[in-house]
Amino acid sequence: MQLASRRAVLCLVAAFVSVPAHAADGPAAALIERVASEVIALIKAKTGKDREAGIRTILVTYFDLPFMGQSALGTHWAATPPPQRERFLKAVATAEARAYSERFGQYSGQTLTVGRVSNRPNGVTVVDSKLSQSNGQPIAIQWEVRETGQGPRITDVKIEGVSMVMTRRSDYNSYIQGHGGKVEPLIQELEKRAAN
Amino acid sequence: MVASFFGTMAARARTSSVAIVAAVAMVGGCASGDTGANEPWDPLETPNRFIFSINRAVDIIAIRPIAVLYRDWMPAPAQRGVHNVLDNLGEPVTAINEVVQGDPSRAATTMARFLVNSTIGLAGIFDVATSLGLTRTKEGAGNTVGYYAGVEPENGGFYMVLPLAGPSNARDAAGLMADYAVDPFRILTYALNVDWLLYSGPRWGATVVDARSRTLFALDDIEKNSVDYYAALRSAYTQQRAETIRQKREKTNTRSELERRDNLALVR
Repeated sequence: MQLASRRAVLCLVAAFVSVPAHAADGPAAALIERVASEVIALIKAKTGKDREAGIRTILVTYFDLPFMGQSALGTHWAATPPPQRERFLKAVATAEARAYSERFGQYSGQTLTVGRVSNRPNGVTVVDSKLSQSNGQPIAIQWEVRETGQGPRITDVKIEGVSMVMTRRSDYNSYIQGHGGKVEPLIQELEKRAAN
Repeated sequence: MVASFFGTMAARARTSSVAIVAAVAMVGGCASGDTGANEPWDPLETPNRFIFSINRAVDIIAIRPIAVLYRDWMPAPAQRGVHNVLDNLGEPVTAINEVVQGDPSRAATTMARFLVNSTIGLAGIFDVATSLGLTRTKEGAGNTVGYYAGVEPENGGFYMVLPLAGPSNARDAAGLMADYAVDPFRILTYALNVDWLLYSGPRWGATVVDARSRTLFALDDIEKNSVDYYAALRSAYTQQRAETIRQKREKTNTRSELERRDNLALVR
């Protein structure tokens, strides 16, 4: 009896946790599905530089790139003057476009299924999804979506638990520390890479 | 006199219990403030970077080219077969870890997989067990330690780069050694004096090529898209291991996962 009631309480807790998630299935999940279908259409239609430009358009439209850039710079953001920030964000956008067009370019007919959507009190929505592969295990991809002035925007992508923004932040942070704590060498390096 | 003695004792006990509560609250506070958004702890960075550069040279000269050839020229069914055999050899260690993790029924499933695949699956070449509904799990002592350790799974002790094996940390390196120590195949072949050319050599060689061919795309991605490959890989490794351990813990605790996501979002 006691066990049964305990189980009932557990079920209640579980229901409480999962119900608001399903109630808010709307804009964030729709955004992910729209991005996935646009990316697939783009990859089928274009290659090389055109693809990269297309991916860049998608990133600018659906991702919150300034926010991602700011997160990636971490504590150094506050100490960076606005003109430098502008250059940094521009270089990061190019770097991201290149990275994602390469990642998405590996696409070969997999399907992305959107799963659980959890709405968090701090305004972030986490959308779980699975990329089913023809061979082997499906890949878990989590999308972090934040409501901005112009509608929901993606702020982070986690592939098998590895956050792209956190990895970038660790990467940039280490580079900045290795160059006397200055952001300028990082911006120059990113601009140099963006140029070729 | 006696009463006042007990009185002071009681007062002392009360203040000390207050102190303990405060201390626990502070420790707890630290634990919940530790969101994993911090940089991995890397006090050995200089020697680590040195080993990292040697590993990279060895990789570029020898391991990567073999892995590329293997991926592109070995027929896919053969690659899957090799992978299945290696997985099968690892099942006993997984089962031992699952017992230690307090999940004997899962360990029984793993052993059932091992028995089915070793016989009907022809020494593990074919994963018959999965089609029978026995799903595969992979556990190591690193996961077991992480599962029981009362810290954020991002905290695996100090980060280290192992010669040849690559990114690791105190927890996972100790785990590797423990897994090696309890591996029944290693104990058996050692006891029977099996020549290393017959067993350990091929097994570890195949493990390296198989693992490297499976990480080609991910590692190339990190290398190409980072300004400091070492730091990016350190972060990705720590996050990926933490995710595995977190999923293990999460089975009993979904709430902690949701709270972690909040914390992560707050830190940004």
